[in-house]
Amino acid sequence: MSIKDLTKDPLNLIIAGVGGQGNVSMSFLIGKALVKKGYFVTVFDNYGASQRLGAVASHIKISKEASNNSPLLHEGDADIIVGLEPVELLRNLSRFGNPDVMTITNSRPVYPIGVISGEVEYPDLNRALETIGMLSAKSWVIHATEEALKLGDPIFANVILLGALLGSCTLPLDKNSVEEVLKEQLPKAFKMNMVALSKGLELVGQ
Amino acid sequence: MEGKTSKELLKDVIETGLCVLCGGCCDCCPYLVFHNGRIVRLHQCTLSEGECYQYCPRTYTDLDAISRQVFGVPYDDSEIGIVKEILLARSLDEEIQEKGQDGGTVTTLLSVAIAEGIIDGVVETKMDDDKTPRGFIARNREELLACTGVSYEPSPALEALNHLSKESTERLGIVGLPCHIACVSKMKTYPPKNRVNIDNVKLVIGLFCGWTLAHGFHQFLQDRFDLSQAIKFDIPHHPGHTFDVYTKSDKRSIELDEIKQYINKACSYCLDMTAEFADISVGSGRAMFSGWNTVIVRTKAGAELMDIVKAKHAIETRAIPVESIENLRDAALNKKKKSLNNIIAKTGDTEDLLYLGLSRNLADKLLGKKN
Amino acid sequence: MANIEIDAPETNQLLLGNEAIARGALEAGIGFATAYPGTPSSEIMGSLAPIAKKMGIYAEWSVNEMVAFEAAAGASLANIRAISSMKGNGVNVISDFLINLQMTGIGKGLVLVVCDDPGGMASSNEQDTRPIAKWLNIPLLEPSTAQECKDMTKWAFDLSEELGMVCMVRSVIFLSHTRGNVRLDKLPKKKKEAYFADIYDVDNPRQSKFTCGMQFHPYKQSEELLKKFAKASAKCESSPFNWYAGPDKTELLIITSGICWTYSTEAVKILNLQDKVGVLKLGVTWPLPEEFVKKHLVKSQKILFVEEIAPFVERSVMELVANLPPESIRPALHGKRSGDVRAWGEQSLDLVIQSIASVMGIAYNSRQSRSIEYSQKVREISEILPHRTLTFCPGCPHRASFWAIKNALQLDGRNGFVTGDIGCTAMGMISPGSFQVRTYYAMGGGVGIAGGFGHLGQFGFTQPVIAVSGDSTFFHASIPGLINGIWNQSNFILAILDNDATAMTGFQPHPGTGVKATGESGEKISIEALCRSLGVSVEVCDPFNIKMTTATLLSLMAGAGGTKGVVLMQRECELVRAHKDRKKPYQMYIDPNRCIGEACGCNRLCTRIFSCPGLVWDREAAKARIDDAVCAGCGLCADICTQEAIIREEV
Repeated sequence: MSIKDLTKDPLNLIIAGVGGQGNVSMSFLIGKALVKKGYFVTVFDNYGASQRLGAVASHIKISKEASNNSPLLHEGDADIIVGLEPVELLRNLSRFGNPDVMTITNSRPVYPIGVISGEVEYPDLNRALETIGMLSAKSWVIHATEEALKLGDPIFANVILLGALLGSCTLPLDKNSVEEVLKEQLPKAFKMNMVALSKGLELVGQ
Repeated sequence: MEGKTSKELLKDVIETGLCVLCGGCCDCCPYLVFHNGRIVRLHQCTLSEGECYQYCPRTYTDLDAISRQVFGVPYDDSEIGIVKEILLARSLDEEIQEKGQDGGTVTTLLSVAIAEGIIDGVVETKMDDDKTPRGFIARNREELLACTGVSYEPSPALEALNHLSKESTERLGIVGLPCHIACVSKMKTYPPKNRVNIDNVKLVIGLFCGWTLAHGFHQFLQDRFDLSQAIKFDIPHHPGHTFDVYTKSDKRSIELDEIKQYINKACSYCLDMTAEFADISVGSGRAMFSGWNTVIVRTKAGAELMDIVKAKHAIETRAIPVESIENLRDAALNKKKKSLNNIIAKTGDTEDLLYLGLSRNLADKLLGKKN
Repeated sequence: MANIEIDAPETNQLLLGNEAIARGALEAGIGFATAYPGTPSSEIMGSLAPIAKKMGIYAEWSVNEMVAFEAAAGASLANIRAISSMKGNGVNVISDFLINLQMTGIGKGLVLVVCDDPGGMASSNEQDTRPIAKWLNIPLLEPSTAQECKDMTKWAFDLSEELGMVCMVRSVIFLSHTRGNVRLDKLPKKKKEAYFADIYDVDNPRQSKFTCGMQFHPYKQSEELLKKFAKASAKCESSPFNWYAGPDKTELLIITSGICWTYSTEAVKILNLQDKVGVLKLGVTWPLPEEFVKKHLVKSQKILFVEEIAPFVERSVMELVANLPPESIRPALHGKRSGDVRAWGEQSLDLVIQSIASVMGIAYNSRQSRSIEYSQKVREISEILPHRTLTFCPGCPHRASFWAIKNALQLDGRNGFVTGDIGCTAMGMISPGSFQVRTYYAMGGGVGIAGGFGHLGQFGFTQPVIAVSGDSTFFHASIPGLINGIWNQSNFILAILDNDATAMTGFQPHPGTGVKATGESGEKISIEALCRSLGVSVEVCDPFNIKMTTATLLSLMAGAGGTKGVVLMQRECELVRAHKDRKKPYQMYIDPNRCIGEACGCNRLCTRIFSCPGLVWDREAAKARIDDAVCAGCGLCADICTQEAIIREEV
């Protein structure tokens, strides 16, 4: 599943979600795994005022050599976008997407407070997922939250998506490189996280 | 009924000085509550139509429609409304006599109505420890006795109706001033969808009313008396000129002139002295018959109850002299004329009668009627 | 998350900018670290505190930046290298002490780390703190990468010691919160000994190093400071953190510092202008390395300044250019003054690409804008995407507090209002707090301004005033304002929303929580006891008991003259409670038969106004619904619903 080398330099990846979904953990795991393999990364977690249910996006730039990349992507410059939440994926697609982008999205919405209170509407989910497909060169829809609930906690969704990301064969990472980092960073939940990781791989056919 | 809600209620009624504090809007939703002598709007409502506005006795009130609903006949220029029977009465129950205002007739009527199973509870007014009147549901004799006595302040009695669960099937009686009765009558005419079923209301008893004392009157009393010791308030009729406060041991009086400033200005736009839309209306016996009540029976339901109460010897009755009736009509007509003129003065337009759905014809008739 | 104390020199680690700063301080051999929580600086102390004991360092979350910095200064004067870190606003608070310290000198290296928040994503304002360096004569270093965060912080200690001055390292949120590869260096093992040498000398009583005393006048200290600063200039001129990359002669010279250097460099690559545009990186931006800049100025007729937020470097270079000999070529200066670079808000790669493209007169089309069809589709989509606004977490006691405050003010009816403060309570400004907070400035500002409002009775002012302060904010800044109000008999209520946490910045401890930075426990300082000792009436309420809290506020508002009192609204932060208890107190659900939703009698009170993320409005069913994945099970909403349609069941 791991690609031998970067298809472009820098390779730009965005992980988008909602506060509390483990977005920052996920980007840290990916970053650490890449650094261990000798890559140079910048990982910027854009989370504004630290609070629950706010939009979060991590910008990850991967380079073979120290190139001191800026922390932010610019318009249309994402190569891969992973969405822990559909509207967040769309939001980031609208700014950073381009005809060649690859996307992986979790199907389960997290409603913003404006939708909950009935002030604004959440887009029709099927239409949203269709649009994601239209705006991506290649895309997967993963029912990560549902699978995570089967494992006992919705928080596992991010590791499931990480598995799917590995399985998409777009990063120079494989299961082993991520396994090491999972063991180091989240030792207590290691077993369950490995199950979640495998699940993600399975869901993209790996 | 035009589409209006709490925002317009504030603008059209409360801020214009028309609000009589009947409580009809209080707690009909979480947004409007009664507090410290005011109706308070807590939150913003975004609906385009609201029952708070619809049933307020000071928003457009089609008197004809209500009269047809309650009596089956159009509204006319009668000073004291529809009269099936008018008489004097007083309770024969010692305990009620002692506690009641004047003749204790209202408490007796309700007590019998509950005992006979005509109603399960009454929307009443009960005074707090500091004598602030609030809405209350009385479901037995003891609770009725706790509601005796007039406070002379406006009472948001109908908030108690709004507290009842919509699923409730309790048959209800309602006691109130003409404004409470007007609100309830509007509900009878246009049954509400979001409140307890108005068909539950089986008996409406109205109290005669000239005006209430509001806007600081309670503070005025609190500054002068230990209200926790007060057991009764009274304003003896003409030629009386005092407001009396009774404690267990004594009675203290304030000159009416001193408290005229607290008369609720909203009352000066009210045409109804005798609670014209009630089943039975009750007032004091006035100076001539102190200790008695003047009683006007208006509907079949009212007459049926009177018969039962008489048969049970719960009250004694006597004929009311023609002179007294004339005095009553006189006083009632004066109120109508005064209020009509106040309304016209407020709007500056003889065609604009504010909330009154009264034909120009009738208005002129009333204004021109001889005392 | 990263392991900053690992003893593995020459290895590559993935560190946050803030973690790298902390690591740099460790590599410089600090013995003392202080801070007050403030985004985006909190991770510096956040990563030092847990390992402080192990590393033989004293680390403290101080009550505010002022005492934090003063404490660090004490350590420095007693021969211990010290670091103090804070967000930009903290520097506003320490400025008085800072200038006095700078004038009288330091002991061992003392580094002030400031993290600005351009764009104000996590602040009440946005400010560029750099100009204070110019004002107070502080050498100013601006790292551009995570690696530089470490290396420049480390260097700052040496520089500070050589000059005998405080040095300032300035970061911004986009640098502090970015992880990058950092090559580690050695960790020193030297033993530290503290001693304050400048004591009273019987033989030489007039001698003093750190005071003005009767001997000196401040203007003499000023003169000394300027001399020191001239020395600083010489040192900074040759700093390895300033460098140039690009051709010898260019069409455009970009002068940049901080994270903007990465935007500039990457933008030039993306625009394919490597042979036309050069980038001059300044690591030291005050004192401006004048000779270094002058040398490179001649490379181009056109200069573009890329920095954030203020035109700080821009103006310094302008001064330089103004002083050039009359025959010199004066380049055209582009930046914030010319409007080529946005003068407010944060910079970004997109903005810098635009600025460079516009100054160079070229067009740039991104991978997205090159495809008209794609751009069109994307434009349509972005219009229907709902925004995510700030809110109180499900179960937050502040939601209840502001609900009670709103009710009390409406019931009171005299157009009363709330003066707000910094922290989670600030969300009282917006919908989750019922828009109750009407003024909002700085730490302690709420009670201070209330004290002013409370004295306007003589001008006919009758509006009740409620000042709101969090618990950490109370210790930080509200006490003097409260004392002032009590002493001067000002008419206001202070509502302390005590959720036993410094929540907004990440649950750092404070004197009321009983736990210190290093995890050790300490004797809690009781806010209630403190307030009572001031002789003011104190009422303690549980905000979840809305009836009682509302009644308490109402009765305080009705009282006569003087400071009406303190209402301590105490209930633990939900996130803290959930972390401890690990289970919900109640299972919540809606009885759809009782819920009347949009109909008159409700108008969706719970979802439209009470507005908790766990309560969802189901448009199709036209009923409210509990989202179990979000609901904290606090049970409060059951008390809000007048239809009794919200049921709570004990778990």
